[in-house]
Amino acid sequence: MTETALAPTTVTTQTPTIPAVPALAAQHVSRWYGNVVAINDVTFALGPGVTGLLGPNGAGKTTLLHLLAGLLRPSAGEVLVEGETAWQRPAMYRRIGLVPERESVHPYLTGFEFVRLNAQLQGLPDATAAARRAIATVELEDVADRPVGTYSKGMRQRTKLAGALVHDPSVLLLDEPFNGLDPRQRLHMMSLLTTMAEAGTTILFSSHILEEVERLAEAVLVVYAGRLAAAGDFRSIRRLMTDRPHTFLVRSSDDRRLATALLADPTVFGAELGLDLLSVRTSDFAAFTRALPRVARDQGVTLFEVGPTDDSLESVFSYLVRR
Amino acid sequence: MTEPLRPTTISVAPTAATGPGGSIYDLGYQSYNGARLGRRAAATALYRYAFREAFGVGRGGRAKIAPLILGGLAILPAILAVVVAALAAQAGAGDALEGRVPVRYETYHGLTVTLLMLFCAAQAPELFGRDQRYGVLPLYFSRALTRTDYAIAKVAGLMSALLVVDLLPQLILFVGRVLVAPDPITGLHQEAPAVPRFVLQCLLTAGLLGGIAGLIAAWTPRRAYATAMIIGASIIPPIVVALVASLNGGDTARIIILLSPGDILDGANAWLFGSRVDNPILASLDIPGPLFIATALAGAVATVALTVRRYRRIVL
Amino acid sequence: MSVFRALLWITVRVLLGRRRLLLMLGLAAVPVLLGVLVQLRGGRPDVSRVLGILVVQTVMPIVALILGTATLGSEIEDGTAVFLLVKPIPRWVIALSKLVVATIATALIVVPVTLLTGILVGGSGSAAMGTTVAFAVASLAGGAAYAAVFVALSSLTARALVAGLVYVLLWEGALGGLLEGTRFLSIRQATLGLVAGLGGEVKSVTIDGGVAVIVLIAAVILSLTITSWRLVSFELRGGD
Repeated sequence: MTETALAPTTVTTQTPTIPAVPALAAQHVSRWYGNVVAINDVTFALGPGVTGLLGPNGAGKTTLLHLLAGLLRPSAGEVLVEGETAWQRPAMYRRIGLVPERESVHPYLTGFEFVRLNAQLQGLPDATAAARRAIATVELEDVADRPVGTYSKGMRQRTKLAGALVHDPSVLLLDEPFNGLDPRQRLHMMSLLTTMAEAGTTILFSSHILEEVERLAEAVLVVYAGRLAAAGDFRSIRRLMTDRPHTFLVRSSDDRRLATALLADPTVFGAELGLDLLSVRTSDFAAFTRALPRVARDQGVTLFEVGPTDDSLESVFSYLVRR
Repeated sequence: MTEPLRPTTISVAPTAATGPGGSIYDLGYQSYNGARLGRRAAATALYRYAFREAFGVGRGGRAKIAPLILGGLAILPAILAVVVAALAAQAGAGDALEGRVPVRYETYHGLTVTLLMLFCAAQAPELFGRDQRYGVLPLYFSRALTRTDYAIAKVAGLMSALLVVDLLPQLILFVGRVLVAPDPITGLHQEAPAVPRFVLQCLLTAGLLGGIAGLIAAWTPRRAYATAMIIGASIIPPIVVALVASLNGGDTARIIILLSPGDILDGANAWLFGSRVDNPILASLDIPGPLFIATALAGAVATVALTVRRYRRIVL
Repeated sequence: MSVFRALLWITVRVLLGRRRLLLMLGLAAVPVLLGVLVQLRGGRPDVSRVLGILVVQTVMPIVALILGTATLGSEIEDGTAVFLLVKPIPRWVIALSKLVVATIATALIVVPVTLLTGILVGGSGSAAMGTTVAFAVASLAGGAAYAAVFVALSSLTARALVAGLVYVLLWEGALGGLLEGTRFLSIRQATLGLVAGLGGEVKSVTIDGGVAVIVLIAAVILSLTITSWRLVSFELRGGD
């Protein structure tokens, strides 16, 4: 595991000084069910800021979040929230907020009642005021007095978020928080999380969509098949992801002429003529996308269509894992 | 890494439709041209599936616990009785024991009826509730299968499973007694008259209990409620009958007893075997035996009809 | 304390489903309707028998079963239990709140039903009244023990309702008649023993009143322990 991507997996964002105790840490954590391994020897440490937990469906994101939240016992290794484990330590939940993905809110409670319940169970002195604040934070005031059963998926998601942040946790764990949100709500949720991160909260959210993580997270953990495929600053990971060999499919007015010219470019190491189609292999995603239009213009070739062939997240992950 | 998909990797490339904006590749999908088995086969398959599901076959280990324990408990007395009879015959005490062992054809219904009710309460909600909870009914109803077929196949699966749990111990008892007898042929002669009786009794039991449980479960998708209501429908009526009868012994009890499945089946059993009912209230009411049998049959038919009606009208 | 109140509040909200209430009312109505019938048609059935069969054997365990499994079981089944578990509350407090609500709700249904039925059936003569009150007190204790046991059962298995029915109908019902030794593990027998200990009239008593109290208290404490222990090591299944 450790030879993948960036070897030292301590991630620091926002605050220049690394705290002595990381907000979230996993040390050689594994979790298996019978003989199925869900999480395989994962080690990382996170500080305040927004971190994305990226991975395709079934990679083990939810299992990892549940382990961090103390809702699963690690089969091996240790999970630490601010230096202590949450497993069988209910007192830890003063510092943790969890937004589960599938778990549903009691449909007969109103949104306000649900958030106030969370505040009361946290033992907050003025639960009603705290609930009002949290409801306002997620902009749910208009519907707060309606039963949750009548909510849309986005409203329900925000209700759960309000319940999780009502006690101002220092660590916030979110499982697929953008699922079911429309673009506007998505933006709002993103700015909300950014604001909280700027105030010093450690936020870890899972997603299987690269673009969501890209827009929000400064740091990223990439999980694939239960293993940590990459961890670190998002930009360097992104470069690692994009600098692998790429294959582009190009359709142009003169494929043969274009191929000849492209082969002279140092970033291109292969080209193949197909039926009315040219496939080009390159080692540098960014340089190639800059070079292609220039070469085409110089040669007087018109480009009809350019597209990468293997941009699915799965192929990116499997590439990262095999490195 | 898998090779990027290119036309040349596809064996049927010549049929690829390629236009300026995109291509559709022939991946070799074909439409099905073979024989279609139709509605009858679909209903049979669903029936078979329901029967298996009643025992938790094809599902995880946890789903098998309840049916296996209840089914095992239903068979246990029969096996014990055969073993005891065999041991007694070896010890030469067979005749002394005869008639004193409480496990006999006519008493077996009383021994297992509670188990069968529990079996219904545990398994009927699995058969009828899951499809509704997971919203897959539209998938069934968009096939050759009709709604009536679906309802009947499910009920029939439940009833068949009950019949197995009910009839199997009686058959074990029968075979055991024939083999224990000093001479198998005489044994067969002795035991044969009981066969049609217990077969009919088991059919009535499976039909009536399965019909009622199916009807309740079809109306109550949530498992907990369905289980509670099936048990309520099984154990409350006999109690009410007993108390009403002890109050004024009269006509009221005679009418409501025909709404109490447990009492109907007890009455039918007593009449079929010509035995005395050990329930004094039932005995005191003095209802003709065939009426019990007719009521049980009518109850089975009516509940199936109502279940079919439920599925014909259910809004998806 | 306000934490505990919040736990009680949400558990009560969980219980207040329309269908469940109807089911409970239907069950509770059976003995009362019978009492009304007695009043209308005359006759003088045995109070002890009516209460023994209808309340102790039927309404009390079934009501406790439905309420006991609903308080915790339905929260686990619906996934709403997570919101209680990710709070800085000792898990035994959560277990206790479920037990308290299940117990009180059972008592609120069973005790009035017992009193009403007893008075309607037996009248207000001192002997009958004594039996009725003894049954009411015993059903309070028995219902509490049943409810506690069924809360614990729903922390152990997702199919607590079926397991509870097997306990009531097979273990206490069928097996209780065959194996004398099971009487110490039978809440039904303990309840009847308590009735006798309180001076009520009972046909067949198998446990002494004092032993019955011990059995019932042990059932509640054991249930609380089991439920707490299960919640402490509760693992959230699912996800991917």
